[in-house]
Order: sequence, then C-alpha cells, then structure tokens
Amino acid sequence: MEYNWDFGAVWTYRGLLWTGLQNTIILAVVCLVLGLFFGLFVGAARYSTRPILNYPATAFVELFRNTPVLIQIMWFFFAFPIISPFQVDAFTAATLGLVLNTTAFSSEIFRAGIQSIAKGQWEAAKALGMTYMQQMKRVILPQAIRRMVPAFMNRAVELVKMTSLASVIAYGELMHQAKSIAAISFNPIEMYTAVAIFYFLLIFPFAILVRRLEIKFQPGS
Amino acid sequence: MTNVLEIKKLSKSFGDLKVLDAIDLTVSKGSTVVIIGASGSGKSTLLRCVNFMEIPSAGQIVLQGDLIGSGTGESMSYSDSELAKMRARVGMVFQHFNLFPHMTVKQNVMEGPRTVLKCNTAECERRADRYLEKVGLGWKADAYPSHLSGGQQQRVAIARALAMEPEVMLFDEATSALDPELVGEVLQTMKELADDGMTMLIVTHELGFAYTVADRVLFLSEGKILEQGDPEAVLINPKQEATKNFLRGHGSFRLPEPNLD
Amino acid sequence: MGYEWDFAIVFRDFDLLLLGLVNTLKVTGFALLFGVPLGLVLALARLYGVAIIRVPVGFVIEFLRSTPPIAQLFWFFFAMPLLLDIEIDPFEAAVITFSLQSSAFFAEVFRGGIASIDSGQWEASKALGMERNAQLRRIILPQAIKRMVPAFMERAIEVMKTTTLVGTISYADLLYEANSIAEETYRYLEVFTVAAGMYFVVIFICSMGVRHLEHYLGRTGEITTG
Repeated sequence: MEYNWDFGAVWTYRGLLWTGLQNTIILAVVCLVLGLFFGLFVGAARYSTRPILNYPATAFVELFRNTPVLIQIMWFFFAFPIISPFQVDAFTAATLGLVLNTTAFSSEIFRAGIQSIAKGQWEAAKALGMTYMQQMKRVILPQAIRRMVPAFMNRAVELVKMTSLASVIAYGELMHQAKSIAAISFNPIEMYTAVAIFYFLLIFPFAILVRRLEIKFQPGS
Repeated sequence: MTNVLEIKKLSKSFGDLKVLDAIDLTVSKGSTVVIIGASGSGKSTLLRCVNFMEIPSAGQIVLQGDLIGSGTGESMSYSDSELAKMRARVGMVFQHFNLFPHMTVKQNVMEGPRTVLKCNTAECERRADRYLEKVGLGWKADAYPSHLSGGQQQRVAIARALAMEPEVMLFDEATSALDPELVGEVLQTMKELADDGMTMLIVTHELGFAYTVADRVLFLSEGKILEQGDPEAVLINPKQEATKNFLRGHGSFRLPEPNLD
Repeated sequence: MGYEWDFAIVFRDFDLLLLGLVNTLKVTGFALLFGVPLGLVLALARLYGVAIIRVPVGFVIEFLRSTPPIAQLFWFFFAMPLLLDIEIDPFEAAVITFSLQSSAFFAEVFRGGIASIDSGQWEASKALGMERNAQLRRIILPQAIKRMVPAFMERAIEVMKTTTLVGTISYADLLYEANSIAEETYRYLEVFTVAAGMYFVVIFICSMGVRHLEHYLGRTGEITTG
C-alpha cells in the first residue's frame, strides 16, 4: 500500500498555523509567568507553620494536582461563567485553568527547593543578625532557585504541551488550527503529522536544555 | 610447585596514561602475594586486570595453564562469555564489599553457585552454610546486609567469593573502607584462608598484615614492579629509595618486634 | 450570586458518570498493561542496544515525550487509520496512544532506576562470572524496580489524568459523560464540579498511596553500603 504524502495544504494554510503557533506561545508564556509568580506565594504559605496560611494553600495544591488539567480548563469554560462576575472567553478559561495548575505545581517546587537548603544556612544567617526576610532573600533563595531551575524548565515543557488542551474549548492555538485545517482540506494525515513535528521542534530544544541543567545543577556535582 | 596464575608482559593504559607497564608475575599454588604501593601506582588496576574487570591493553593472563583470550601478546581479543567463565574461577573481594542489598546474607553467598555455576539448591545451601561458617557468620545467614557491621559485610563478601570455590582469590583493599576497630576481624579471616592454603593476591595498606601473612611482597611504583621478595626483604630491608620513602610515609604501621629465634 | 445549585440532576444520571469512570480506569489499565513492559524494552534498548537500535529508540522516546498527548491521539485516531487503510475505534486509538506515550516516560523511569544502582553492584556480579542478562535480571533490576515504585505510581496517575483526552475522540470516559449530561441538562456547573470531584477522589487516594509507599520505602532504607 503506497500512500502519496502531500504537504501542500500545510503550506497553503501556513498563515493559520503561524497564528496558532503564536497563540500557543502567548498562552504558555502568560501562564508560566503568572503561575510561577503565584506559585512563590502559595509555596511560601505551604512552607509556613501557621494553619491559616498552610491549610488553604495545601487544599489548593492538592485540588489542582489531583485533578486532570483538561477538566480544570473545561470547568472554567463551561461551569465557571455561570457564577462568574465577568465574561469568560476561551483564552480566559484556558489561562485560568493553566495558571492555577502551574501555580500548584510550581509552589511545590519552591517549597521543596527551600526545604533542600541545609538548616545550617538559616542558622548562619540568623547568627549574623539577619531578619527572616533577609535570610530568605540574601541566603536561602539564591541557593534554592539555582536548584529549582531544572524543575521549572520541566514545568515549562509540560505547560507548552498542556496548552494544546485549549483546542478542546476552541481557543485558536496550534492544535486547534491544525484540527480546523484538517477538516477544511481533508488531509488529516499530513496535518496531524506536521503539527506533531511542529510541537516536537518547539519543545525538544527545551527538553535538551533541561537535561543539561539537571546534570549541571545536581547537588554535589 | 604449580603456578596458578601467570601474568605476562601485562600493560594497561587509560587514554595516554600508562598505568601498568609490562608487568610479569607468577603466583604459585597456595601462596599469598601482597602488592603494596602508593595510590596511583597501579596496584588496584593490576588486580582488576587479573580477572578482566579491566581489559588489559597488552599482555597475557594464564590461569592454571589456560591462556585467556586469543591472539598474540600485543593484541589479544576476548569474548564476553569466555571472560565470564574465567571470572567464575577467580574470587574477588572489593573495598566497598558490594553485597547485594536485596538478598539475605545466605542468598548473597548462594547467588554465584546458583546463577553462574547452575548448582542445585541443595548444593548451593551446602556451600553457603559451609563458607558462612568459615567466616564465622553462620548465625547471620538470614539477616540483610544493611543490618551488619562493615566488618561483617566484608566477611560475607569473602564467603560469597569462596562459595565459587575459586582457584585464586583477589583482595582489592578489602579493609580500606572499614572503621579501624573492624579491620582486625577481616584480616583474621584472610589470614585463616592463607593458612588453609588458598592462593591469594592481595592489595592492601596494612603493612603489618603483609609482613605476617605474605609469602612474597611486591612494591609497585609507576606501573612497574620496583622491588619484590619475602616480607623481610621488602618491608624491613628495602633496597630501593622509593620503597624506603613509601615505608617511611607509613611510619605508623606496627611491625612485630624482630624476634628471630 | 443568585445562582441556585441543583445537584439532583447530577445524581439522577450518576450511573452514567460512574460508567464513565469505569471507562477511564479501563483505558488507564490497558495503557499501563502495555506501556510498562514496553517502557522496559525501550529502556534496555536505549541503554544497551547497538547503535542502529539505540539511536532510533532514543528518537522515538524523545518524540513521544516532547509532543502533546492530544496531538498523538489525533494522529493515531484520524491519521494512522487512513495511512494504513484500517479501521480503528476510539478505545483502540486511546489504548495505542497512551500505551506508547506512557512507555516513553516509563522508559526514562527505568533508565533512571538502573542508572541509580551503585556501580559496585555491577562489579560484584561481574566478578562472580555473571553475564549482562544475569546481572540485570538477578542483581540490578530487582533493586532498581523497588526504587522506581513511587516514580511508577506517579506516572500511572499522570496516565489517568491524560486519559481525559479520549473524550475528544468520543470515547465515553468520565469527562465525556459529564459533558453530554451537561449539554442535555444545562447544569454545567453542577455536572463539571461533581465530575472534577470524582477525579479528585480517585486520584487523591492514589496520590496518598504513593506518598505512604515513598515514606515506607524511605524508612526501610533500600541503601547499598559503599
């Protein structure tokens, strides 16, 4: 059986695909930045021993780590608008789902990173007379963040992959554009092959970088 | 006296670094040969070449008259299965014991006879009981290695090697990783083996032990045997400057008082 | 907020949701059944294969790890059947996709586990005269697998989360059932909240199990001396 591959349609619709790729990147960057930002606070709350901070943060993290991200996105798209005071379009719903998901996972990275710093570092900083915030900012975080970098990059890779789920609620990112084109031009073979390759080219360099960093930042090497 | 092991013109290089330079050595049946030397002198590499944990760059190894590998001295070639069979005939004890942590002491000792020699269960058990008894650890047969002291672990490792009923035993700094108070029990076990007539090739820093147990001591320096002879000749009356310097550096080792009557 | 919650409608169709959950577990189970052994084979091929096997296997693993599962699922459901001129139903496409997808991740878990074993274990078994197969089977894998258990279970949970995608190709998993009930009743808020809750309960229980196991394995200490 010989199949004649014809990538012509992929080229014809390159404009749509380009838009999709841009939307994928926008969604990923927005969610990564916001997710890391909120993650720092949730992570700090998780690290805290005060129940008023710790309990809600823990509940939040468990909720978002233990449900599939697709149902989070669909919940924000279909269910949330019913009680939401503002308009929820596909981008907003996808952003809400992915940001909260990324917040939950990155808060765990922050927490684990801070926990991995030896107690002696806190004590040495304290003995110098530093306040808690100074200890954190000057001594602990600079060391911890170095160790967290590979984990964050890994999260970024996962996030780019997760943005493809926004296609389910018809946000015009790469996967959604591919689906639309495949339907118009009746060429699912070429279209879905091409889109898989695009994602690979987008993500693989990151994955390589993560591994390099993992080796470089391995504690004790 | 028959030669158990003959090492002929053995050389080993790692890249440009020549670690062993044309070593010749024969070990006769029942003898104990101790190799000493500074770190980096190539003594561990020599031992590891004997059972092909490292593949020699050149030279030949002859075990009980069997030449290992095929070819001439300069370019030998070895098959994996031939080397595996050869290693089964040579026992090796490591600095870090390397017991199998997922098996009990007895299972550790049975593993070689079972998997490599294909002995039946009864024979495996017989060997395990016998050699654990020999190293004085029969009572620990059902314990896991993590519950033993370092000295006990190393004695189990010796039993594991003995259970293969090897033709020669290699000891690669077997006491270097042990706390000082645990060294004695392992050396005692090794001495008993020597007294039983086991053929042994030992790399060690324990010069006092070398003095009492060795039939022959080799001083290795920069990949060559610089000096060899009986313990008295090498350890008490060395001829080479390098040997003297090395022994001076080990001034803390206690030799028994020379009591020659 | 004047919205009146009404869960009665959800519980009237609760058996459909349960059926969806069973289908979710079914896809997950089959994906693991094929994905784990395949992952071991891929890991061994990547570690010990000759170059002509090692390089393509490495590429396949990297490709599967670096593309979104939904792109893979669509390829196997829409593109592959046309390419090979075969018929395939959503369930089969899902099992193929998630088996392959998870096998790439399991391969890396296996590889990491094998690499984590102290080199002394290889040395000691080699010195006894074992060949590579015996070393792997008797000495290395039994230790590595024990260490990998938590990572495995974590991966298995990820697989379950990923299977929510099968709804997009109309396989009646939990999310798909939730969506159809919501479309019929317009009770999106209640239905999606309950469905999310069901996922949460199942996955949370699994996560707790993993954490206990990690704790337990950490305590009994699979530690190699030296």
